[in-house]
Amino acid sequence: MTDKRSLVVSVVDDDESVRESLPDLLRQFGFAAEAFSSAEAFLASEIVSETSCLLLDIAMPGMSGPDLQEELQRRRERIPIVFITGHGDSTLRPRLLARGAVECLLKPFSEDALLDAVRAALRRPAGAA
Amino acid sequence: MTAPPATHTGGWTGFPASNGEDPAAGTAGFTILDALDVPVVVVRRDCTVACFNKAAADVLGIVPSDVGLPPRDIAVLAGTSRLERHCREVVAGGVDSHVDLPFEDKWFVVRISPWRRSDRGVAGTVLTFTDVTAFRASIQNAVYERECTKTILNTVGDPLVVLGADHRIQSGNRAFYAMFGVSREQTHGAPLYQLGDGAFETAGFLTRLQEMIAGNREFVPVEVDGVATARGRRALLLDAQPLSFPGHSERRILMTFQDITARKQAEAAKDLRSEEELRRSEAFLAEGQRLSLTGSFSWKVATDEMTWSEQLYRIYAFEIGTPVTLDLIRTRIHLEDLTMVDKMVDAARRAQQDFEFQYRLVMPDRSVRHLHAVAHATRDQDGQLEYIAAVQDVTARRRSDEALAKARSELAKVARVTSLGVLTASIAHEVNQPLSGIITNAGTCLRMLDADPPNVEGARETVRRTIRDGNRASDVITRLRALFTKEGEFTLESLDLNEVTREVIALTLSDLQRNRVALQSELAEGLPLITGDRIQLQQVILNLLRNACDAMCDVHDRVRRLLIVTEREDAGRVRLSVRDAGVGVDPESMNRLLDAFYTTKSDGMGIGLSVSCSIIERHHGRLWAESNDGPGTTFSFSIPIDLDGVTDATPG
Repeated sequence: MTDKRSLVVSVVDDDESVRESLPDLLRQFGFAAEAFSSAEAFLASEIVSETSCLLLDIAMPGMSGPDLQEELQRRRERIPIVFITGHGDSTLRPRLLARGAVECLLKPFSEDALLDAVRAALRRPAGAA
Repeated sequence: MTAPPATHTGGWTGFPASNGEDPAAGTAGFTILDALDVPVVVVRRDCTVACFNKAAADVLGIVPSDVGLPPRDIAVLAGTSRLERHCREVVAGGVDSHVDLPFEDKWFVVRISPWRRSDRGVAGTVLTFTDVTAFRASIQNAVYERECTKTILNTVGDPLVVLGADHRIQSGNRAFYAMFGVSREQTHGAPLYQLGDGAFETAGFLTRLQEMIAGNREFVPVEVDGVATARGRRALLLDAQPLSFPGHSERRILMTFQDITARKQAEAAKDLRSEEELRRSEAFLAEGQRLSLTGSFSWKVATDEMTWSEQLYRIYAFEIGTPVTLDLIRTRIHLEDLTMVDKMVDAARRAQQDFEFQYRLVMPDRSVRHLHAVAHATRDQDGQLEYIAAVQDVTARRRSDEALAKARSELAKVARVTSLGVLTASIAHEVNQPLSGIITNAGTCLRMLDADPPNVEGARETVRRTIRDGNRASDVITRLRALFTKEGEFTLESLDLNEVTREVIALTLSDLQRNRVALQSELAEGLPLITGDRIQLQQVILNLLRNACDAMCDVHDRVRRLLIVTEREDAGRVRLSVRDAGVGVDPESMNRLLDAFYTTKSDGMGIGLSVSCSIIERHHGRLWAESNDGPGTTFSFSIPIDLDGVTDATPG
């Protein structure tokens, strides 16, 4: 699992419950996990370039999830993104996937769904984001 | 033969008195003849002058030496062979004769009479000279005057005719004969009425002429149309005046004719023109009324006489020209508006004031028309109260208003449903966040406990977060429940529906009174107790009363009667009904009344009835609405007495 430890999964969500619970679970899966309360905080950190998978909330105060996705593409940071959202809109997922997201998980989601999505993200060849 | 004294003044000159041939029969005869101022000359059979009187000497200048001479040798009688011939004829015939004789500047009429002797033989003639100079002059003058008059009359353009008192034509001027294309000879003595192809045979005309002749009345000029003349049918203005002559009992009529055909035609044309103008302005008005769906009428209050415009007839769907009465109008007016209209009419009769009001008509096909009337009070020329009013058909406007209100209501519903969608999303988000945390924490907890060694401290931390997120989700649900129902609890107890109803009435009484609603309650005696939630049932009753009250807020023409009834139904149920006299609910809306968020009220939430419905359903009952026979709607709910006993029969 040492290789996994080097894989950083970052969580960006304005909801504290998610920021507290999700990194712990990811660590239980053997990933290195970092949590940020906003897109701006994530962009300002040193973690961006080290992140192998980004679990990204959609609706947040300030910069939204899709905004951050766009900004990362502009910066040529090819980080695979898995969106997580509490707004269950069935039309949202295909639109996000079309724009390059690996997956879109509707809260509440199961461990398996989370793990499948993260693994899919990690399998994605660099530059596919 | 002794010559008698031959002087002028000697009287009878040259008369042989002794031979008994004295024409004057003695001395007295001389005196009489000389006293005459008429010249008298006696001529013998041989036409010689026998004797003459004084006037003959004075006037004719006969001298005594003329005695014995024939008349042609007498200066005064020279050149009058005619006279001599007349004398011989008289002597021969023994009959009087006349001859006109000019002498110097005079004219005489000489009468020649036979001079008879005692033996009845004719001894000669007696010539009497009458001076007719003045008479002749006057005759000539009259002839001249007559010719002048004739000329003048013939040059007058207007026809003139003189009629006898029997209306027969005596004489006309040239224009008269020309006008009728007849000659003087053809018409002399003919009745005037033979002319003009009978146009003069009007009784009025005849009577007037007769009255004028009788001297009773002056003739007023009369127009006679269609008189046949040489120029075709003409309109003539006839005038007449009586002609009378001093000393003549006969009366005549001078009649003049004036051809007024052209003037009449001009007048007719002018009438036509002004008629055309009037017709056009009326047409404009009618078209304006038709386009604006506005009719007008006048109403003379004292006589109830009404005049309607054509458009008003169309609005009321009465046949144009039908005499309009208030009773007839009332047959069209909507029953609910009748009282109001009657009041308006009464008020209009009592006082002169302007009115503006809206009312409805029910047409023969049962359709309803909305009318807007504006009436202005005025006084007619006799000072009588009269209303001039305009009535506009505002049905289309009303319908579009109603359609607009309905659309707005639909829109409001859509907006609410949309906001409900937003609310739902927001609720989902609010719940999903803690749920997500709970699931994640629980998974983490399991993994921490499964670890070797178990991470008990970490697991404890995740459990604490799980509890926290669980509470958070619970809070969301609590808030949500509070949002939709004020009383989250459903508390069943044994209830007297009448008592529950009375409490609600007590609560709303002042509200009802303020809205001028006459509440009548008919609560059945001995109603069985029911099992239910007092507060929630009271909310339903309150909601029904409020709706009824709101439905009547626009009712002004009748009592806002609200009847609340409780009664026992068969099959162990009780029923409560609230009957209003309000605006009613159209059938389409009726089907949707109980839909959530449907409302016909601009300020309504649209959830009152649906909440009421769900409360009644929780009591295993049902709630429904029915249109009344009269105005308004009745809302009822029916619930079972024993809640448990009918659980299986709960409607879906």
